[in-house]
Amino acid sequence: MDVELELFGTLRGLEPGDRLRVPVAGGTVADLRAALATHAAARWPRVTPGLLGSCAFATPAAVLRDGEPLPVDGRMAVLPPVSGG
Amino acid sequence: MADHFLHVADRAAEALDPAAALEFVSDPGFGGVAMFVGRVRDLNQGRDVAGISYDLYQPLALARFAEIAEQAKREVGPRLRLYIAHAKGRLAVGELAVVIAAGTPHRDEAFRACRLAIEAVKHTTPIWKQEHYVDGDSEWTAGCSLCDAPVAQASPVHDHAHDPDHPQH
Repeated sequence: MDVELELFGTLRGLEPGDRLRVPVAGGTVADLRAALATHAAARWPRVTPGLLGSCAFATPAAVLRDGEPLPVDGRMAVLPPVSGG
Repeated sequence: MADHFLHVADRAAEALDPAAALEFVSDPGFGGVAMFVGRVRDLNQGRDVAGISYDLYQPLALARFAEIAEQAKREVGPRLRLYIAHAKGRLAVGELAVVIAAGTPHRDEAFRACRLAIEAVKHTTPIWKQEHYVDGDSEWTAGCSLCDAPVAQASPVHDHAHDPDHPQH
């Protein structure tokens, strides 16, 4: 399935409108993580594998772990390490 | 009336309001009120800071605030009024980034609920800050990965290495 991702924090500015659509071979967050890593390796030279590995994937309601299924609506946010307050 | 108030304040439209926070958590039965106010500081790691832009994933941030309020209630008991508000957008030095207030019957629960809430907001909520320096440069600051623990059960106070000199409070 295709997943539409919204980008935040240090990932802003990498894609037009801070959004991108990635094709995912599989149905879990881990599959999405692998797909985004492939995209990043080709298109985001300043994003290191370490940074990408520390990013979480979330819906508006919750952070989803790597083993969890992707949401049926195919929309997620990529959350780099947080620094509020 | 709800016993917590959870808010994201877009700086373009409004500033955070500590007086409103104190009023919200006040109750005739509550003898203790604790408040934390985080402000943008003018120096971080030797660099002169002109301001900070805060970015939020707002729906999840508000969901986290609600979980934090429930967690605080579990920690200190049900007699708690809690106010959590965070700014969004560009702030100048001295402006308010976050306001947390807790009202409880006695001071110990108020301090504990306030501390728990600010630590959880800083470490487990999808908020990012971009520092703008006086020299014209800007940087997104390093932070805490949300991959490390299930968010709903994340400990609000943890001990991983931190930038010892956050650019505010």
